[in-house]
Amino acid sequence: MASRETTNNNHYRSGKEAGLVLCIECHTIHQYIPHMAMRCSRCGAQLHQRKPNSLNRTWALLITSIILFIPANMLTIMNVIYFGQDDPSTIIGGVILLIQLGSYSVAFVVFAASILVPLFKMVGILMILLSLKYNINLSDSQRITMFRYIDFIGRWSMLDIFVISILAALVNISGIAVITAGSAATAFGAVVVLTIMAANSFDTRLLWDYKQSTDNFLNSNNEQIK
Amino acid sequence: MLCHECDLLIQNQVIDEGSKLQCPRCGHVIYKQKHNTIGKSLAFTITALIFFYPAVTESIMSISMGGKSQHQSIIEGAQVLLQEEYYLVAILTFMCSLLVPLLRLLLLFYITFSLSVNLFHKSFFWSFRLYHYIEEWGMLDVYMLGIIVSVVKLSSMAEIQAGFGLWAYAGLLLTYILAANSLNPHEVWDLLLEHKQLGEKQNQTKTNQEAA
Ligand SMILES: [Zn+2]
Ligand SMILES: [Zn+2]
Repeated sequence: MASRETTNNNHYRSGKEAGLVLCIECHTIHQYIPHMAMRCSRCGAQLHQRKPNSLNRTWALLITSIILFIPANMLTIMNVIYFGQDDPSTIIGGVILLIQLGSYSVAFVVFAASILVPLFKMVGILMILLSLKYNINLSDSQRITMFRYIDFIGRWSMLDIFVISILAALVNISGIAVITAGSAATAFGAVVVLTIMAANSFDTRLLWDYKQSTDNFLNSNNEQIK
Repeated sequence: MLCHECDLLIQNQVIDEGSKLQCPRCGHVIYKQKHNTIGKSLAFTITALIFFYPAVTESIMSISMGGKSQHQSIIEGAQVLLQEEYYLVAILTFMCSLLVPLLRLLLLFYITFSLSVNLFHKSFFWSFRLYHYIEEWGMLDVYMLGIIVSVVKLSSMAEIQAGFGLWAYAGLLLTYILAANSLNPHEVWDLLLEHKQLGEKQNQTKTNQEAA
């Protein structure tokens, strides 16, 4: 019990330790009753101290999206039939085409939205999950900044999907030019949806839960040494 | 108060009008004290809803190629992909560029209109929750960027003309963002709670009177 008094000033107390639960929809605080399905008395949302199964769900969605990212980049995403000639292109092919057209800024936007953003997002979530699993000490501010950034940019990778649907509908003049979607479009769409869902199922509060338990552990160890 | 993102326990504090309370540990904005945001948001929501119909049904742009021309609206974009059996792409386009923004605007209208004329209904709670829940699937801004990229891609092989739908779409995008950003959700929750407590009190006095 003595360790509690000697804990340093940096020790923060979480709502979970205090036996409270927050409604993440309307931000009301409730007294937590263990082993009971609780609902918010204000807005009716389900109450959990932490999102249930958060880590497992995030892992599953992340791994699926990493696997699908391969066909999304290897297969044809768009097929341009120009005067009867097929010209299938991959995601990277579309970027190269834009560079050849001389529009570098748009080429960069497409490259960022369809390759950099999904890649960064998947690697980022993977790093956060691994750092939790193997107790790697990334600082909290690094992790939460990374996660917020990932959450913010994720939706922009939908860009290529929209471009395809605009082009496929607009360029549909038989005999001259027809643009159709390719199977990579479905795979890529799935990657975008899965990474957004993976970020949503991750509970950021877990980042500090781990930190607190090690802090307490270290403090009690120090106590014993003294 | 508890932090939404790191579950830190914070003592209740008095917050001045116009300022906000940030979590000392993770920087998340826990509470924003700003009043009278509902009327403003309602005005933008109505404008956005007026823009919605032409933005979706009028042609965004038309191209001409080898003497033939074609134009397209947002709804047609999703239809063509459905015919080609790219269901996921079609559904994503339809959902993110049309269905979710429309649903969000309608929910926002329902809540802000009723609150500004002082009506209250139980369904506000789940309406406002749903409004937040689907937030990131409304991608009008990404779709706008998609239009720009498509124009650049086509510029080498065809002549392109902007349609009336494009201007309506730009107006919709602007008012949609303003409507969502001008609203302070904390104010809405506080008002909803006030109404609920008021209703409960009235019910109690009613039953008390009946008992007497
Ligand atoms: Zn609630
Ligand atoms: Zn916090």
